Amino acid sequence: MSRQLVATFCHEVNSAIGNRDALKIRSILVLEPPFANPVYYELIEELRNEYPVGDDGSEDRLEAVISAAVTETGEGKDEQGLPVQEWRSMVRFLAAWLTFIRDVDTSQLLNAYQAMSDVQTKGNLALTHPTQGILVLPTLIGYAQIFARLAIALDRQPELAQVALAHAKKDKSDKDKAESLAEKAANIVRPGFLTCLNDRNTVAGGIKDGRPDGKKIGAYKMANVCLKILFQSNKLDNCSMIFKNIETASPPLHFYPAGDRVTYLYYLGRYHFISNNFYQAQMVLQQAYNDTPIHESFLKQRRLMLLYLLVANLILGRFPSERLYARPEAVYFRDIFHPITQAIRKGDLEAFQRMMNLDLSWDYAAKLSRWKVFYQIGNCCEIMVYRSLYRRVFLLAGKQPGPMERAPPSLDLNAVVIAAAFLEKRASASPAKAQANGWSFNLQAPPTPPAYIDPDFEGMENVTPYVHQFDIEEIEGLCASLILEGLISGYISPKLKKLAILGAKKAGSPVKAGFPNLWHVLSTKKREQAGTEDVEGWVKTQQMGGGKVVRLASARPAGS
Amino acid sequence: MSGAAQGSAATTKAVTDDKSKNGEPAAEKKPAAQLEEDDEFEDFPAEDWTEEDTQIPGGNTHLWEESWDDDDTSDEFAVQLREELKKLGHTK
Repeated sequence: MSRQLVATFCHEVNSAIGNRDALKIRSILVLEPPFANPVYYELIEELRNEYPVGDDGSEDRLEAVISAAVTETGEGKDEQGLPVQEWRSMVRFLAAWLTFIRDVDTSQLLNAYQAMSDVQTKGNLALTHPTQGILVLPTLIGYAQIFARLAIALDRQPELAQVALAHAKKDKSDKDKAESLAEKAANIVRPGFLTCLNDRNTVAGGIKDGRPDGKKIGAYKMANVCLKILFQSNKLDNCSMIFKNIETASPPLHFYPAGDRVTYLYYLGRYHFISNNFYQAQMVLQQAYNDTPIHESFLKQRRLMLLYLLVANLILGRFPSERLYARPEAVYFRDIFHPITQAIRKGDLEAFQRMMNLDLSWDYAAKLSRWKVFYQIGNCCEIMVYRSLYRRVFLLAGKQPGPMERAPPSLDLNAVVIAAAFLEKRASASPAKAQANGWSFNLQAPPTPPAYIDPDFEGMENVTPYVHQFDIEEIEGLCASLILEGLISGYISPKLKKLAILGAKKAGSPVKAGFPNLWHVLSTKKREQAGTEDVEGWVKTQQMGGGKVVRLASARPAGS
Repeated sequence: MSGAAQGSAATTKAVTDDKSKNGEPAAEKKPAAQLEEDDEFEDFPAEDWTEEDTQIPGGNTHLWEESWDDDDTSDEFAVQLREELKKLGHTK
């Protein structure tokens, strides 16, 4: 009986290589117990008996058996009679697979992670063979997905990560010490991604019969595995390299299967979101959202896409409609985002400050913070609240000249000081008190805004707490910023402390002239800043020669 | 991997179910538990699908409001602001 099953498996793999049947290879090289086919348990038994763990010679003997049985890994000739180089890395990969299934104990996550690192690395090397490597691509993609799950699971168990770190400290360089298990896993998968992306054994341009050719078919699947690990472990800085690699060498995204495409666009959109490129983020996420099936089993992914799409749009001044809120994937979104858009609409500084209070005391603040959108909303939307407040005060207290007057419509900025101070005071009162007073706060003695003492100075004598209060200088400065950003259209008279609005007749009304459409202003500006509708990391057109277009318009002639 | 066979079965299933239901029944449910509230982007239950599978009844239009400025000066918020401004002589 001895060596029978190892040999049988090797022969199976050998004929699959001979038939160039990559899916067959994947179906043989199963990695994760429990195994549906009992023959794998017999194989493991044989491995433990014949090639026991801890026996120094086991791996060499295994490699020798594999090498002898999997003859297709030797030098040979292809169908056209061209020489095919030896595929030694496949022998090592098969040995690593056999060793892995012999030893793996899924209850020991850290050991499984370390063993998988080895299999994945050896698989990457097998993948690099110019003509045969593609035969392990489906297997390796499946492995990378399992490896990602493992790395993420470990990342969520800090005590295990600590053990791993202690191991790393013993015998690794400084660089390794700083790397988390998840980052390391992404770095282990990354060479596989690069091998796929940069495959030279394809037709020019990498697209054949409308499909990515050669190993390029695996580029986005591998990239998505790396991105998943990096996103889940909060190592977003490392993602930029993947997007740059794609930008440089990928065939257009639309040639790839929908699942690859949409997953990639989701991560790309989130990356642009985190990088404060909200305009690009909404373009990418809108495409991802549009391209995802509406079936219930896709609901969770649709919800995540919609969430970041919604917030990117919100920050650009485009609000969700009731129709959007009615979508099944948008459940509860109205509860969270409607109060925010209402505060922006009205210029309700009080409500906005309460919701965006950094102590996360608002009902949904912690949730927004977990989604990593809280600070973006707080920082980027506040300016919109101020714009609406100026607008609102203009509607209530703006001066519109009579038909015979030549003066433009104007707003006394002192009125804005009063409104802002009034709202800020209310924001600083306890919500219960504001409620109890039935919104008639101004009839009571006004509360004082919260006093701030830096924690370093707390308890010291003669320290005067800082109390923020709006004054005319601040309101004038804010108004100037809003004008500069294009959110208010007018000019300030510093002497009269007034905002004057021009072009009211042309626009149809002073308020239309003075407060142009926010989405229009912001999206135009972002588009102009980018200078292109292209989004970094999103390859839409064929790149001939696999590289970027080099513009030589500004280059000087040689020798000049 | 065995996952390959499972993957393609799931593809067929998800897409066929989708076609038979046309997305409508799903729209009426609110599977809250399912949506609470991890930000992990899970692998799709299918690898590929057609454009037809993504068509929403009524399309993707009118999801966003681009003009939302509020001109209502009679709501509670406006009334309170007006009161405050009036006290200090700033209303029209």
